[in-house]
Amino acid sequence: MRAFALSLTVTLAAFPAFANKVYISNEKGNDITVLDSETLEVIATFPAGNRPRGITISPDGKELYVCASDDDTVRVFETETYTETHTLPSGPDPELFVLHPSGNPLYIANEDDNLVTIVDVVTHRVLAEVPVGVEPEGMAISPDGAFVVNTSETTNMAHFIDTATSQIVANVLVDQRPRYAQFTSDGKLLFVTAEIGGTVAVVDVATKEVIHKIGFEIPGVLPEAIQPVGLKITQDGSRIYVALGPANRVAVIDGATFEVMDYLLVGQRVWQLAFTPDERFLFTTNGNSNDVSVIDVAAGEVIRSVPVGQQPWGIVVAPD
Amino acid sequence: MKRLLIAALLLTTPALAEGSGDPTWPCIQRKQPHLSIGQLWPGPPPDAAAAHLAQRPDIAALAQVLEQRRLPMDEAEVQIAAFAKGASAAELTALFVAVFDRIDAYRSRIMAGVARYAEKQTALSDQIEARRAEMARLSAAAAPDFDKIDAEEERLDWDVRIFTDRQAQLTYVCETPVILEQRAFALGRAIAAHLATPTPVP
Repeated sequence: MRAFALSLTVTLAAFPAFANKVYISNEKGNDITVLDSETLEVIATFPAGNRPRGITISPDGKELYVCASDDDTVRVFETETYTETHTLPSGPDPELFVLHPSGNPLYIANEDDNLVTIVDVVTHRVLAEVPVGVEPEGMAISPDGAFVVNTSETTNMAHFIDTATSQIVANVLVDQRPRYAQFTSDGKLLFVTAEIGGTVAVVDVATKEVIHKIGFEIPGVLPEAIQPVGLKITQDGSRIYVALGPANRVAVIDGATFEVMDYLLVGQRVWQLAFTPDERFLFTTNGNSNDVSVIDVAAGEVIRSVPVGQQPWGIVVAPD
Repeated sequence: MKRLLIAALLLTTPALAEGSGDPTWPCIQRKQPHLSIGQLWPGPPPDAAAAHLAQRPDIAALAQVLEQRRLPMDEAEVQIAAFAKGASAAELTALFVAVFDRIDAYRSRIMAGVARYAEKQTALSDQIEARRAEMARLSAAAAPDFDKIDAEEERLDWDVRIFTDRQAQLTYVCETPVILEQRAFALGRAIAAHLATPTPVP
């Protein structure tokens, strides 16, 4: 038995990762590409309505949510069969959304009418609409579910919404065209990317103040090509990865010092990022080269580019 | 029919003003006058030595072949692989510099063409406005000269037709710089794949 246990351990050590499905929304192809996170092969493609962008998955991995921006709805797919089971009311032009850590509700940014729509994913009903700044875009939720943050592209703010009251409790001014926001897993810091400003704001969640701004400078790249968009943070907060849009690079940032350590060349117009649950790989969607780059996180290297659909935009990895 | 064309014109005219606010840049895509090498090449920016080496006849000739969009990427990759056998990192870098310089120069010419296209459309739009004003003036006369009105209407119809036809090509016109950037990126990636280990940017 011990020998068996030992051999099992060895096997597990040799193959530490589960294969997870990786779902990529193709904004122009109007479909979803499914990758296998171990073989890095495309295993399926299925239609997803008009202009699919934001994409997320339920904590149990059974339901896939897709913002079909030009259909003004959120489409819900069964993750095994890829069949559409229903839609959720989203308000006009849904672009990005965030799911409560419990799996319900869903908080959706409506770019065209300056609202965040809160939808119950079980009853399929709108619970509330929260007026925010002009052109709401990025969405983040604190790990304890207490705050939802929405960024507004034109107002250049991160709005903190109290999830208990659906009221805005703080507005934090950041740089021009904030695109994406994410909390650290301990809930203490919020990172907000600014596409035109070319920076990432580090916000202290307790005081709601910007405590640091991360700038970017890449030798041989014109500053206007550096446009921070998607962002992801490791569970332990030690590394932050920022997609720099048409610079075609992902910045690797030290979570303790906020210093940029490296700029990895990925694909063209890199947009969104997603880790595998074990954080072995980080995937990037590259809108202009129509592929997904695979970063080996430990090695800090791009190991593969996988062709997907037309203009890949959003990406989510299924939980274990 | 004329009403329809004018309606189409009214619908399409604002597209000229969209995007950057630059009247000579009619595209939705952000105007990016030049590509930068760091967007396409993983290593440190090539130096003057690489630029000099890029002029070596065999490297320049290969770059000229690779640049052609009619050469499929898989065939380009075969040619790059053949060159890479025995080529040093400096020679591979020089090949990319040669490709980059050619594509960026061509892309700049295309972008100048886009600007001329936009200027022509603006001029035509002004001419259409003038013809419409002239028609309104002729129609408002106490004894309208219907022959003159008909002639002016015909000229107006032609101008509107040319304008809308040209406008329909806008998507293609605007996508050309993007397609060239894609080509440059794909070639950069294919050449860089033959470097032993990518040099991280400091």
